[in-house]
Amino acid sequence: MALYDNKLWLLSHIRNSFISTDDTGMCETVMVGEDLPKHLADELDIYRDPDDSEEDEDDIRHESYDIQLDMDYGVHRARSNTAARLEKLDQAKKRMSKIKHIKWEAPNPLSQDDIKHMFIKKEPKKVTVTKSLLSEQLEKCVNVPQNQYMEYEKFDGSAQIGIPTRKYKIFLTMLPEEQRNYPMIILCIATATIQELIGLILLKCSMSHGDFPLGPVETYGLYLTEEDGEVDHDFPCLDPKECVAKYGFDCLGLVEHKQGQKNVSFETTTQICTSEEFKNKFSKDNDTANETKKITEDLQLMKVHKTAMEAPLYKSYRVLIVNKVRAKAEIQLGISGEKIEIDPVQQKSSKFTFVRQKPVSHHIDSIVWCEITDLKSSASAFRIYYTPSHGSMENSVKGDSTSLQLSASFKYYDFESDHGTTEEIVEKINLILELRSSANRREYLATKEKKMLKKKSSAINRL
Amino acid sequence: MVLNSNSDNSQIILATGGYDHTIKIWQTHTGICQRTMQHAESQVNALEITPNKQLLAATGYQRIRMYDLTSNNPNPVINYEGLSKNVTSVGFQEDCKWMFTGGEDCSARIWDYRAKTHRNAAKIFQTSAPVTSVCLHPNQVELLVADQSGVLHLWDLRTDHNEQFIPDGETMILDVDVDASGNFMAAVNSKGRCYIWSLTPAKDGEPSKTSPKTKFDAHKRHALKCKFSPDSNLLVTTSSDQTARIWKTSDFSLQQELKHDNQRWVWDAAFSSDSQYVFTASSDGYAKLWNVKTGAMEREYAGHQKAVITMAFKDAAV
Repeated sequence: MALYDNKLWLLSHIRNSFISTDDTGMCETVMVGEDLPKHLADELDIYRDPDDSEEDEDDIRHESYDIQLDMDYGVHRARSNTAARLEKLDQAKKRMSKIKHIKWEAPNPLSQDDIKHMFIKKEPKKVTVTKSLLSEQLEKCVNVPQNQYMEYEKFDGSAQIGIPTRKYKIFLTMLPEEQRNYPMIILCIATATIQELIGLILLKCSMSHGDFPLGPVETYGLYLTEEDGEVDHDFPCLDPKECVAKYGFDCLGLVEHKQGQKNVSFETTTQICTSEEFKNKFSKDNDTANETKKITEDLQLMKVHKTAMEAPLYKSYRVLIVNKVRAKAEIQLGISGEKIEIDPVQQKSSKFTFVRQKPVSHHIDSIVWCEITDLKSSASAFRIYYTPSHGSMENSVKGDSTSLQLSASFKYYDFESDHGTTEEIVEKINLILELRSSANRREYLATKEKKMLKKKSSAINRL
Repeated sequence: MVLNSNSDNSQIILATGGYDHTIKIWQTHTGICQRTMQHAESQVNALEITPNKQLLAATGYQRIRMYDLTSNNPNPVINYEGLSKNVTSVGFQEDCKWMFTGGEDCSARIWDYRAKTHRNAAKIFQTSAPVTSVCLHPNQVELLVADQSGVLHLWDLRTDHNEQFIPDGETMILDVDVDASGNFMAAVNSKGRCYIWSLTPAKDGEPSKTSPKTKFDAHKRHALKCKFSPDSNLLVTTSSDQTARIWKTSDFSLQQELKHDNQRWVWDAAFSSDSQYVFTASSDGYAKLWNVKTGAMEREYAGHQKAVITMAFKDAAV
């Protein structure tokens, strides 16, 4: 964990991954009271959408979602409905007090002085305006296309009184990565349909991200989305014809549908702006360019951290195992921070029947090395080294082992898969191994080094 | 989102209001709604922008509210109360010395607006019927007050002298206007008829002299508003016959009919300062911008949930 010295990342990690196992509530009480140093909070501000800084006052507190202070506990007492209502009344009163009230009272007759001062006769001026500002502005934007979502303004629920409205957090998945990290808060009247809500979102989006090209309303769909912006692709998009009030979700993702394709492919719809494009885009404005460059770099850093974080999470892959006689069998390779499992897959074709792979499981500490061994055009091969004597090794006397003994104690598996999967697996395993840095691995690395030195010295001797 | 806060009078402000209890401020050339303000508990009857473009006055049932145009505050900053029934019109003396209002409580009022005075109620003028429209003569000392019983009052604010005109028996007068040069006065009534008087300035201390000039049937149904263009060459009338019509003041012939399918009642209208464009507000929930010369609709301002019945517009010269 010492690797992660990025404060921002750490805070985000704590907020999102902290799990409390303390049932007494004491942990919460202590941690909730803790406040972040202000400068850190300010630093973090760059990751917040400036638009909703006011609404999301809570976001400033970078505490774990797992810490939820029980209202009944300790100094905090549950608020009754009456208290809540009183507070509401108080707020209304406060709002009212900002308004100056002037009452009409039967006027006293004005003095001659007042009349003289107030009612001064003026000569009507002949005003001739040859060209108004309005005309000029209209002429300037004759060819500017009208905002195609203008008609959806009427579904905006902000500033509406007495009409039921719905508040949504909308993730705009079609925007460049750095602009879609934070949801857009949309207030929509409750009688609007999903399609009208989409139109309203696009209108607001076109107003805040003016230069981003957007398509017609029908080409977008709203999907259930996690609070962190991850679109849930297990469910179809919300029916555009249905009323928004029918659905109870308040966190949604707007996804652009590819043309002529009914099923949405989530992988392809998310356009990622490369840093190069990104630089070009902002090269006009140096300040923003620098700022955005920094953000891009930070994002890149976060991405690396994220990959590292996710490495110990269980994931399984379908790959081919290659045995000593080059026969291949399809297996399921499960990798997690705990162990690596190889499970045979029920063979459908008779071609592989002669290869029998028994299910095997290796503790992660017995795995010592993983590398890509062969890059062919169609597929790539990779090798996972392990020590079969793991467990007994722990108790045996370490040190003084010769390289000969060690080389015999390491075995390996050969696998084959496509390039993408291979790379992912190798990266994942190596990240886990790096993090754990087991005794077996250290020995393997030491052996490898010795071998290298030997090779070198023998080469020198030959000279 | 930001309305020019240094308010140097070189900005355009278009505000609309109506039955949905909101007031919207528009970016006129793009049609985008810049800001929405709350007008709780009442429809918006009339809107007016102060001459210094700092505040927006909105009248509703029993009150007049003032909104700050230089901030983003959705709530009013001043609330005028103590009135019964609907307040139907509002306007300002050109130096912001006082505000005038008219309402269904059969009165027109002058509210002292000068900073140093603490007494705000300055003058009241009682009529025998609910007031539908109040208009200030450009000489700044005469107020024209129209009421539902068909009477038009010319009220001299200095002397309280008042003159009455009854153009069409008891037919309700819905709106009255005086052109910027002070030469014409127009009034429209519920039969769709438009009456024109010529005005001649009198010697100091005496009311303007009026003489009926012409009358014509502007619309087949209620005529709701009449407004002169800033150059005094045109007059726009709006009506429940779902049109607005532009008339030449030289001979009061029809120059343009502004019509749009399903726009329903056209409630209000406002000219650009060069008289080249006119805005209309209608029951279809839209405000619209028309080219006076071609009669073509140039922009639509969509966003209100219900009928738009009033608008205020302040233009600037280039």
